[in-house]
Amino acid sequence: MALSGIRTYIMNTPLYKGAVSAYRGAKQKGLDVVPESVYSNEKIIKGIKTTGEKISSAEQRLILGASALMSQPFIDASNKNVDEKTRKVSVARTIAKIIAGTFTGYFIRKGCIKGIKALSQMPGKDVPKWKTIFTPKNAKDNTSDAFLQYRNAIGTVVALVVMMFTNFLIDAPLTKFLTNTFIKHGEDDKK
Amino acid sequence: MKSPAHLFSDFKNVMYKKYGENPGQMLVHTGVLGWILSSLAQVTAVVFNDKISPEQKTFLIPQEAADAFVNIVSFYVITSSFKNLASKLVSTGKLTTKPIKEFLTKQGVNSSEHIGKIGFNIENMANFQDIKSDYKAFKNGVDVVASTAGSIISCNIVTPILRNEYASKQQKKAIAKMHGTDTSELKSPRGISMDTYIKLSSSKYSSGSLKV
Repeated sequence: MALSGIRTYIMNTPLYKGAVSAYRGAKQKGLDVVPESVYSNEKIIKGIKTTGEKISSAEQRLILGASALMSQPFIDASNKNVDEKTRKVSVARTIAKIIAGTFTGYFIRKGCIKGIKALSQMPGKDVPKWKTIFTPKNAKDNTSDAFLQYRNAIGTVVALVVMMFTNFLIDAPLTKFLTNTFIKHGEDDKK
Repeated sequence: MKSPAHLFSDFKNVMYKKYGENPGQMLVHTGVLGWILSSLAQVTAVVFNDKISPEQKTFLIPQEAADAFVNIVSFYVITSSFKNLASKLVSTGKLTTKPIKEFLTKQGVNSSEHIGKIGFNIENMANFQDIKSDYKAFKNGVDVVASTAGSIISCNIVTPILRNEYASKQQKKAIAKMHGTDTSELKSPRGISMDTYIKLSSSKYSSGSLKV
């Protein structure tokens, strides 16, 4: 009761109203900048729809890793605050970190999403109870797009908790190993 | 007080309701959660690292926390802005497919009055059910593309540049503290030696955040 009173009071202050109005104005300007587009090409529409259905956090991690390889080493290579030799180590370490992070990130997410799929079956006569442990009570069927997205979301949350540990158990030693390999390879090439 | 089983059931229902029809938002939120957990792990690694002295920890812990703050805020602001703009473009009819456009025309939607106007939302129209499945599938796709593009720009371009800037400033401050000099008198910390770099990077698990 008291909280809703405070909320109403804040929402009626000129400062709040001004901020909301400015925010709406900025948002409208953002919308105005983009020209109106109507897609009629079936292939493009199907591609966009499939992206929404099929891209889970695992695939997104893979895309992020691939694009990271195309940008981050160049950012480090152009860092003029360190000497050339350090810059090379830094680039090697960045590449190693991206490979290690993408590798574990993709497979752990994928594995957890698959695990959640196995544990979120619809209750039925032949389905053991433990296979429904992650099935939400308000779900009516497990083939809908909403249910598939729910599985992706739960699987991703579980994967993030798992990765808190694998970050140190796998990523860090793998990054160290790959960094040393890349540096050694670079030195061998020089000889 | 609710039992753990009840809380778990509520958690599943909330996740289903919130993210079931909004995969773009799920990618933004789990991305932020990923950065938070990754940063938490980095800070914990410094806290429990016996090789780092208590004096160094007083500097490294706030540094890691600030680094985490930069990562999380830049990721959230950029990715959610991309996602929100894309969502708004679809819901105001500015970005549509031919069937959705035909539906809008049939409903008498006026281009100059409604399309692209912040107060207009296709989802609030009376006969929205006629186009719902087509519209939702398209909107989810646009949301996912936008949040992925936002993540790429944030994680692979903006954050590394901000982090390099921040790390360089922190390094300057640390050097100034060591020598008792004013930071404005210092030149950029050029010429850090290979040994120092390796020593620095091995004193913690990563020289930046290990993105999970």
